[in-house]
Amino acid sequence: MKNPEKRIGADHLGSLYTDGRVRRRREWRGVPDTLYDYSRWLHNWVTIFRVVLSKPRNIKALFRYRWMANYLAVPMMVDRHTQGLRGEHLRICHVEQDLIIEDVAKLLDKLFRGDRRIDNDKDFSDKVVLVDENEMQSLMMGFPTLVPLSREIASTYIPVLLNQRAALHYIDIAQEYGLAGDVCPMPEAEAGVSIDDDAPVLGKCAVQCNTTCDGSLMGNSVIFKRLELEDGIPIFQLATPLRHQEPDVQEYAAQEIRNAIAFIEEHTGEKWDWTHYFECAKRVNYATKCRMEWLDMNKTQYPQVFGSNLALYTETNYMAISGRVAAFQDADRKITALAERAYQKKKMASNEYRHRAIVWGVQSHYYMDFLVWLLNCWGIVPLTDMLSMVSTKMIADTDTPENREQAIYDIAWLTENMIMRNRTHGGYKVLLDELWEIVEEFNADMVILWEHMSCKALDGMHGLFEERAREKGIHLVWVSHDLFDPRVISRQGVRDQINSYMRTVMQEEPVDPSLEELNDAESW
Amino acid sequence: MKDLKYLQYFEDLLQDANNDLVQQARNDGKKCVAYICENTPEPLLNLEGLFSSRLRAPRTSSMEMATYYLTSFLCEYSRALLERAIEGGYNFADCLITPDGCSMINRVAENMELLHTMDEGKPNFFYEHMEIPMKADDNGLNLYVLQCKNHILKPLQDKFGIDVSDASIRRAVQEHNRICRLVRAIGDFRKGEKPTLTGYEYSVITLATYAAPKYLLVDKLEETLEELKTRQPDPINNFRARVLLVGSEIDDPDFVKLVESTGAFVCADRYCYGSFPGRDEIVLTEDEDALIQICRQYMMRGQCPRYMNQQKILGRRSYVDQLAKEYGADGIIYEQIKFCDPWAYERMVGSHVMHDEYGYPVLSIDRPYSTSGTGQLRTRIQAFIESIEIKKIHGGDK
Amino acid sequence: MKSVGKTLCIVFLKLIATVCCLFVVTFAAYFFNLDMKLTAKMEPILFHFYDKVKRDQHL
Repeated sequence: MKNPEKRIGADHLGSLYTDGRVRRRREWRGVPDTLYDYSRWLHNWVTIFRVVLSKPRNIKALFRYRWMANYLAVPMMVDRHTQGLRGEHLRICHVEQDLIIEDVAKLLDKLFRGDRRIDNDKDFSDKVVLVDENEMQSLMMGFPTLVPLSREIASTYIPVLLNQRAALHYIDIAQEYGLAGDVCPMPEAEAGVSIDDDAPVLGKCAVQCNTTCDGSLMGNSVIFKRLELEDGIPIFQLATPLRHQEPDVQEYAAQEIRNAIAFIEEHTGEKWDWTHYFECAKRVNYATKCRMEWLDMNKTQYPQVFGSNLALYTETNYMAISGRVAAFQDADRKITALAERAYQKKKMASNEYRHRAIVWGVQSHYYMDFLVWLLNCWGIVPLTDMLSMVSTKMIADTDTPENREQAIYDIAWLTENMIMRNRTHGGYKVLLDELWEIVEEFNADMVILWEHMSCKALDGMHGLFEERAREKGIHLVWVSHDLFDPRVISRQGVRDQINSYMRTVMQEEPVDPSLEELNDAESW
Repeated sequence: MKDLKYLQYFEDLLQDANNDLVQQARNDGKKCVAYICENTPEPLLNLEGLFSSRLRAPRTSSMEMATYYLTSFLCEYSRALLERAIEGGYNFADCLITPDGCSMINRVAENMELLHTMDEGKPNFFYEHMEIPMKADDNGLNLYVLQCKNHILKPLQDKFGIDVSDASIRRAVQEHNRICRLVRAIGDFRKGEKPTLTGYEYSVITLATYAAPKYLLVDKLEETLEELKTRQPDPINNFRARVLLVGSEIDDPDFVKLVESTGAFVCADRYCYGSFPGRDEIVLTEDEDALIQICRQYMMRGQCPRYMNQQKILGRRSYVDQLAKEYGADGIIYEQIKFCDPWAYERMVGSHVMHDEYGYPVLSIDRPYSTSGTGQLRTRIQAFIESIEIKKIHGGDK
Repeated sequence: MKSVGKTLCIVFLKLIATVCCLFVVTFAAYFFNLDMKLTAKMEPILFHFYDKVKRDQHL
């Protein structure tokens, strides 16, 4: 389906690339869209200066922590995700990205404010509860006066989104200490940060979790050694059941939540606030409602909120925000309004839509904008992705005695159904069977299956994915990668897997041939 | 030393999962409960009318089919199990009960189920996947008990009419303990200055108790124990250093043989399929349900790295230290099968802690599942043994 | 009165000119990606500092 609208400057997007770190220039999107993008660029720089660079503590941290250098690439991350976007789609992307940037800027500022090495604000640090990178922060919805902060989000998760090589130093450090090279590089890098003495030290207590995988669970044991045994920050290990669809694990999950809350109360002296919890719960439900509306739109011929924007925003809003920040509710509202407007106008986000794809598996973190590339280069529309297909269950959001009990089960449910683990754990039904239901529901003709090499839970279904795809006559395209480590498979290596499938199996030519081969190995 | 009378017999039992004793037990009308992970409470799989068989697949040469289903990124142990299952090697089983011990075990069991590898022509066959706790505490115990009821006892009762009463469980524990006492007593012959049992022999005997119906092994184990009491050690020790072997699954005694071929003596076995803690007795009192007590003891003694609470993390190291002291280990070998996530981390941290904080010489290795073609591994172990030997000669500390 | 108006007019024009200049400069920085080109140059300098930071590297 070709886009009837002329999209200025969206024909040869590959010409913007150079062999170095950054792009030649920014896109010309026509006067209104370029000026809009320019204004958001300016806004983001103002945010970075206002929240981060204007404070001496953050400058000190910039010269202390190696991972901070990656934050220089923030504007480029936005450029990567807005590539080729015009009109409402550009605005949707900015609403999401700009808010995430502000949220992350605040995270950095808070980390360094409490950090014993940097600003060492003890009163503030005593309000901080460190949470795991993979922690569903729904656990903190009833603690309005406490500040949940994730050191790993700041030091590893975000940096790799900004700079594909951000984690390599830490991966190498962990391996120098004897960690096998075949584990998932994400917890490996987090362990490397801890070993390299490159994590801020702050907080009254910490909560670790087992949400994603065996590697993540075990990486905690490395961090625990330093954080609790040396820095003296007590840690609660929150064990969430793996078989989360089973009724006979829910009581266990709920009790773990009760125990975690009691641990936080004991160490911080704060009490769980039900009023605040239910306020947050309303926002969680609103976010769920909006996400469901976007997904419904994506089932039609004119999807509007999809691709990496849907993925990144859902990850942030669902897991890290969990209704605690009102600004995200405003963003949900704006995005929904923009999407509805675009839908009514039958707007398309690229020059041509050829294939409707479900993106499954764990995405390559060092190439999150791959979905933008799929759309622009081959006209493959990534309607939704595995990480965005999270819980759509409405949680109790009014304060009644029954709901207070239910709330504990809701938090447990959300924790069990944290992004990714709601699919990679819980049995084959949620990973394998439901994929084909989603394919049908979204009327997709293609599945892009990320094969994160060190994700054993996914790899372990490889053959059955193939067999089912054959049975159902769906094009299944494997895209291998190593999550945090582009040395194993480069970005071009990722693209080549699509290029060769599209040319040899589908016998197609690219929509934008300038994007087919890009020399971005050195790029951020 | 003179060969053990039944060593060949025990070795033969390990050649094939569907060994003579498994066939004999099936001919006796018993149902075979297959399981994979050590966190499945064994006595519950050995109630009256049942026997357990812990699946193994050593010497699997080609893993092509399993690699297609699981990719080459899953550990070879799990791939070998699936390969063997696809080949029909476990067709003797009447059910498969597996906890989500790790992601790979879970996927192997799910592939076995989805590919109908073991259930064809067996209308009562069932696959059960269990949740087991990741922390040792009261909440974990409640989960463990409930999961054992729902995923072990209930299906066994419903499908095979097994008596799952408290009395029946207690009888199974008694039988289990009998084997544990025998295995432990045999293992004690590794303790002396001049041990009368090699690590290889012991691993063969221990493995046989996982792979074959226990009740059919009792007489041979008793005879072996008697034989060991009068077995004469070699006049001169053939080994150069005593090592404690710690790590992930070793379901093939050839690996222990490889270690011992370098001049080491494997004095204690703290690995999955080993006797620590798998052959600890289960002590029951009368004032509490047997099931609760079994689960508590499995949970508290478990040394699997998937246990994530602090006490367990620290406890794993002190347990290794305790074993090293009890069995007089000169050094520790931490091993893992390649691609094993839990043991990759446990090996890294454990090997550093045991060296830096406890002062043991430690060798840390990741290894292929198959022991064939392991020249490099042999060289590394040999170098480690030499380094211990040199330290001993120079009278240095551990 | 006339001179006040003239002064105001000049201030206004200067303001407009400043805003225009700022716009031109920032827009040029935006369009030609000068901000990223500059920060890319800063990266090796920062790495130089990181390599010098004393760390207590251990498990």
